[in-house]
Amino acid sequence: AVRGPPGPGLSAPCLCRRERVRAMFYHAYEHYLESAFPYDELRPLTCDGQDTWGSFSLTLIDALDTLLILGNVSEFQRVVNVLQEGVDFDIDVNASVFETNIRVVGGLLSAHLLSRKAGVEVEAGWPCSGPLLRMAEEAARKLLPAFQTPTGMPYGTVNLLHGVNPGETPVTCTAGIGTFIVEFATLSHLTGDPVFEDVARKALKALWKNRSDIGLVGNHIDVITAKWVAQDAGIGAGVDSYFEYLVKGAILLQDEELMSMFLEYNKAIKNYTKFDDWYLWVQMYKGTVSMPVFQSLEAYWPGLQSLIGDVDNAMRTFLNYYTVWKQFGGLPEFYNIPQGYTVDKREGYPLRPELIESAMYLYRATRDPTLLELGRDAVESIEKISKVDCGFATIKDLRDHRLDNRMESFFLAETIKYLYLLFDPDNFIHNDGSDFDVVVTPYGECVLDAGGYIFNTEAHPIDPAALHCCRKHKQEQWEVQDLMREFYSRKKSKKFTLKRIPDRGEGENAKDPEDSSSDKAGEKRNSKKSSHSLLSCPSQSFNSKLAVLGQVFLENT
Amino acid sequence: SCSRAKDVTMPAKLPVSFFSPSSPVIDLFRGQLDYAEQLRQDSEIVLYFFYAPWCGQSIAAREEIERVASRLSDQVLFVAVNCWWNQGKCRKQKHFFYFPVIHLYHRSFGPIEYKGPMSAVYIEKFVRRVMTPLLYISSRSKLLDFLSNYEPGVVGFFEFNASPQPPGYLTFFTSALHSLKKDYLGTIRFGVVTDKRVAEEISLVHSGSVYLHRHANTSLIYPKDIMNFTAENICKWALENREMLIRWLRPHGGKSLLLNNELKKGPALLIFIPYNPLEEIHPLLDEITKVALEYHKCNKSQAAEPDLQHVGDSDSPAFDSSVTDAHLKFSETFPIAKYPCCNTVVLPQWHSISRTHNVCELCVNQTLGVKPNKVHVPRCNFLEIEAALDSFYLQEHTFFQVISNTIECSNFLSFYSPFSYYTACCRTVNRHFLSFISSEKTIFQTPKVAFSSHGKKDNTQFSIPHIEDRNCFIPDLNISSTNITGLSCRTNKTLNLYLLDSNLFWIYAERLGASRSTHLKEFAAIVDLKEEVHYVLDQNESLVGPTLENFIKNFSVLYSPLKRHLVDDPSVHFHEEHVVTEVTTNTFHETVFLSAKNVLLLYYAQWCGFCASLNHIFIQLARLLPPDSFTVARIDVTRNDLPWEFMTDRLPTILFFPRQRKEQSVKFPEDSSVNLPNLLKFILHHSSLSSSEPCTKECLHKESVLQQGHISHLEREIQKLRSEISALHQAHDQLEAQLSEARREEQRLQQQKHTLEKQHKTLQLHSDQLQATYDQKNQELLEMAEKLQELADASENLLKENALLRILVASRGGKLQSKDDIKEPLQSEQTLSEDNDISLSTATAALAEKRIDNIDTIETEHSSGNRTE
Repeated sequence: AVRGPPGPGLSAPCLCRRERVRAMFYHAYEHYLESAFPYDELRPLTCDGQDTWGSFSLTLIDALDTLLILGNVSEFQRVVNVLQEGVDFDIDVNASVFETNIRVVGGLLSAHLLSRKAGVEVEAGWPCSGPLLRMAEEAARKLLPAFQTPTGMPYGTVNLLHGVNPGETPVTCTAGIGTFIVEFATLSHLTGDPVFEDVARKALKALWKNRSDIGLVGNHIDVITAKWVAQDAGIGAGVDSYFEYLVKGAILLQDEELMSMFLEYNKAIKNYTKFDDWYLWVQMYKGTVSMPVFQSLEAYWPGLQSLIGDVDNAMRTFLNYYTVWKQFGGLPEFYNIPQGYTVDKREGYPLRPELIESAMYLYRATRDPTLLELGRDAVESIEKISKVDCGFATIKDLRDHRLDNRMESFFLAETIKYLYLLFDPDNFIHNDGSDFDVVVTPYGECVLDAGGYIFNTEAHPIDPAALHCCRKHKQEQWEVQDLMREFYSRKKSKKFTLKRIPDRGEGENAKDPEDSSSDKAGEKRNSKKSSHSLLSCPSQSFNSKLAVLGQVFLENT
Repeated sequence: SCSRAKDVTMPAKLPVSFFSPSSPVIDLFRGQLDYAEQLRQDSEIVLYFFYAPWCGQSIAAREEIERVASRLSDQVLFVAVNCWWNQGKCRKQKHFFYFPVIHLYHRSFGPIEYKGPMSAVYIEKFVRRVMTPLLYISSRSKLLDFLSNYEPGVVGFFEFNASPQPPGYLTFFTSALHSLKKDYLGTIRFGVVTDKRVAEEISLVHSGSVYLHRHANTSLIYPKDIMNFTAENICKWALENREMLIRWLRPHGGKSLLLNNELKKGPALLIFIPYNPLEEIHPLLDEITKVALEYHKCNKSQAAEPDLQHVGDSDSPAFDSSVTDAHLKFSETFPIAKYPCCNTVVLPQWHSISRTHNVCELCVNQTLGVKPNKVHVPRCNFLEIEAALDSFYLQEHTFFQVISNTIECSNFLSFYSPFSYYTACCRTVNRHFLSFISSEKTIFQTPKVAFSSHGKKDNTQFSIPHIEDRNCFIPDLNISSTNITGLSCRTNKTLNLYLLDSNLFWIYAERLGASRSTHLKEFAAIVDLKEEVHYVLDQNESLVGPTLENFIKNFSVLYSPLKRHLVDDPSVHFHEEHVVTEVTTNTFHETVFLSAKNVLLLYYAQWCGFCASLNHIFIQLARLLPPDSFTVARIDVTRNDLPWEFMTDRLPTILFFPRQRKEQSVKFPEDSSVNLPNLLKFILHHSSLSSSEPCTKECLHKESVLQQGHISHLEREIQKLRSEISALHQAHDQLEAQLSEARREEQRLQQQKHTLEKQHKTLQLHSDQLQATYDQKNQELLEMAEKLQELADASENLLKENALLRILVASRGGKLQSKDDIKEPLQSEQTLSEDNDISLSTATAALAEKRIDNIDTIETEHSSGNRTE
């Protein structure tokens, strides 16, 4: 008798929304190919292209795995060929170490790992070798000179041909130092060259060592002197992906040390920056509030929290951020929380993905229709506000929805991808382990594509299983075979002792003698104190059953 | 050109109409707020729909508004205003934090904001309430109808005889509108009576009196003498004093603590029914209301008790006056409220040998004079219960010897307050069950030690130790004798009753385990947030009054027969081809305990990053272990509840249930990293068979089975090695190909080098030759120059000679005038020598040029040679 309400119960229209997102992708992608390729980015208002972060046809590299997620296998294959022929890293270009890593190295790595799924004919050594992997390695090698500093923390900019320019500024933002472990560790595991993982870990440790007494890190640091240049501590711009990579690195590498670092930061962040489920900016030494501001970039945080099982808090913060979206039809770069309005000169919304990303993660955890509602709002807003004849334009000012002549490459790499995945619960990316592939490599048999993909901070998925396929794999296999022999023998005499969780890698990586021993011992004691493994999530509480449609529950205290 | 394009920006697109032109809604898409306000003069009721064109919720609500407008457009003016367009008046004057915003005006009264669900029926209902905020009650039967409704009713009595409008009527009318502002659900209904005789039914005598009807508590009359008679005050008074026997829960979708606050009050009965607010009658709702009324009707239950003592206040007729049918008689209005509350007391065991145990429910019944505008919460406060307990224990001797299967009650006076009395209802319970319960409780507290001893007891049938299952051993504790009437006051497990519209909020029902497949969206569940349990009314039983009553009763009795409901993931289907077995609540027992295999069970959640990254390890493990004796299984504990003793507080958790000793499950140590060798060692360690036993026939058989397994494992291994070999071959071939490719490349390069070298040599040669020619030419040049010099010298000599000759001639001429003929041939010789000089100098210049050219070409050839090398 009564017709269903429009708001809740969004399950049915999901697929038509998904198709709208697909159409959005092709509108932008085709115009890029037509008007902007081989430049890095499309300029949607003038219908031409420009180089922004280098000269790598960045949008194409970034959009590559989105093509596969949308199911377009043939275009994926075509682009792989185009990139192999067309992209050259031997160029006299000053490139951002951070951006090149997350967009180019990350994009190529994930395309490499997905290429078999996309029907690309792979070499016999795949996933331990392949043309895209070689390209990723080449690009990463171009970045290595930046890490040659006294502290191990990298410069922000490097010349791809000549290395670090003389007179280059030594000031790098925190995220620009701590956002390498996912790509670099993957590279090391696949190629067998430990140098990448080593420099990434060294940089992470240098940051950890330089945290303030109250456990916070600032925004910018001098990589030569290790002095903090900008002392604002928060979870947003300049810091964001450092925290993200501590968690994702811990998951990808089953690494307790990285997780213990994150958990310590998490404590300090909760203590000093969290107010009423918002996260503010504070002075890193004193903990006093310096900016009562919410930044668009901070919206990744709920997604990260859901990965480690803090779903209740994640949802509460997400709902705060969603109100800002409802007010403007996008998230302004800065939002002044007490005033409830945008901040001068920071009113833009370059179609960033972070809130949608969090919605996708949270939807996995809660299946809350509110999250689909955000997806609906995002589709409507982006289409109504920023769609132009040649693509989708950055919103220059959310107050009046004036547009800017830019379409960042993350729009196709991240925003569209996360939107699509939000509306496509059966996508292979959401595989919960019921499906998998078996690949025989020269290093032995290998189980791949069993789900659990780790997205790098530019939304390029990495299959964690692939890290166990190359080089080290053989050793483990022999061990397993010995055990199996034991298994079938009637007499079981041996006592078996389990290996404790290693602190770094398998212990075969070179250790840096100077910073570790005393520091590490202290940490180990800490982790011993907690009764459970750091690499685990709490199971959800009873009231989480009812924590949907905006309902939140207070902890029982 | 680049820099100019960088600065290109584009203003926002111009607004276009949001509603279709044929729509009954006036669409001011340029945000003309001034015009919108003018329009208000035209209609008694106006609805403003403030929207933003980019807003998803505005777009979704648009249809709903149109639907309402098409039904009400003759009585209500619908105006939509684009309140986003930054050139528009609306945007400049209003500052909204969300869209859409719906404002209603009743003439000049307003705005009344609509905050309910964006669903046409709800909006229409609200608009209709704004149109007629007061219901005219013309007769006694209409009054009965009005008051019997489950939602609180406020009745004003106004005599319309002399003046056009009796004093206070307008205030009352406004307060009705005002209540809609405060209470957007419109739960308080306002009615007006003009007939004196009808008014007498609710003991209203004076025109201008206002009456708040309450079912369980005494009804109230607005205290004009204490509070000013203003619209706000009436509204506030009604909201504060209304009865909430049963409440609608309508979460608005934004962040809210509604459920948190309600559920933390205590156990709650959530009833989901499909509800259309526009329908005139709601039979199911009426039935539920009746149950709720009965449940809260405490007065009656006390009246039914024997020897009721009224202490202090003797004239409390409310007790007797309430009769079964609330429709016939209304409780009278008195400034008295009675609110009992109860607590369960287990008497200390005096006779330890006796297998009986006495349990009493102690209720505090107070009759206190209180102010009429005070809100009463039907709950005990701590002090009251303390006092009651003291009094109770002092009189305990009268209770502890009771040995009876029926409930016996008695009342006694408080030692502290003359205004309170207590009722104690005691009953004897077989101690066997009690001790059982308490033993269960100790297991509760140490869930980590877990799973010992339980399964063994009754291995035969359904042995899984559900605590819930135990309850079915407890005999029926006179459930039929427990009456629903006034139960809320007699139990310490008082339920709060809530209604939810299943058209809007079915998701909560699904979360609590409602079947997704049923078409009938009716569901009831009791949620106890504190105990972290919930019970579900069997969905096979239809949701009617009696089943609901039974449900409540079963919850309220001391040893409740209700089982904790375990939500199960219905989307999981058993897949034979899945190497890792997916376990659900329903298949847990079968897969883990009944199967004769060793079981490795992984507790996981899809969202937990640490679990998902282990998928490949478990798949590998499952492929490795012989499937006829091992099961690798996993359970998503976010979607599958398990009995307490099998719950875990961290994910992932890995448990191993060895075959034949399923109760001795072991946990994979948390400080070991989860990888294939470690998991194998863990399994090996715990599945070890006792090897010392002498080998019997059975053992031999076992051994052969084991070896069979070994053989097949090895075969698989060989298979794997074969494929590995082929992979290696492939890689080898590939490398070979690459190598030969490289060799060919090398060869090609070598050849290239050779040719280049050759070229280089020829070039060298060439350059030597050129050098030689150059030297030669140079030599020639020098020779030439020498010759030239000679010539020059010669000519100089000649000139000198000439001059001498001239002098000679001149001297001779002077002397010999006659000798003129000899001089001429000498002059012609001199011009000849000058011509020769010019041609020589041009030749040297040409030679020099040629030399430079030669050097250039040599140089270019050199450099090109280098590059190709």
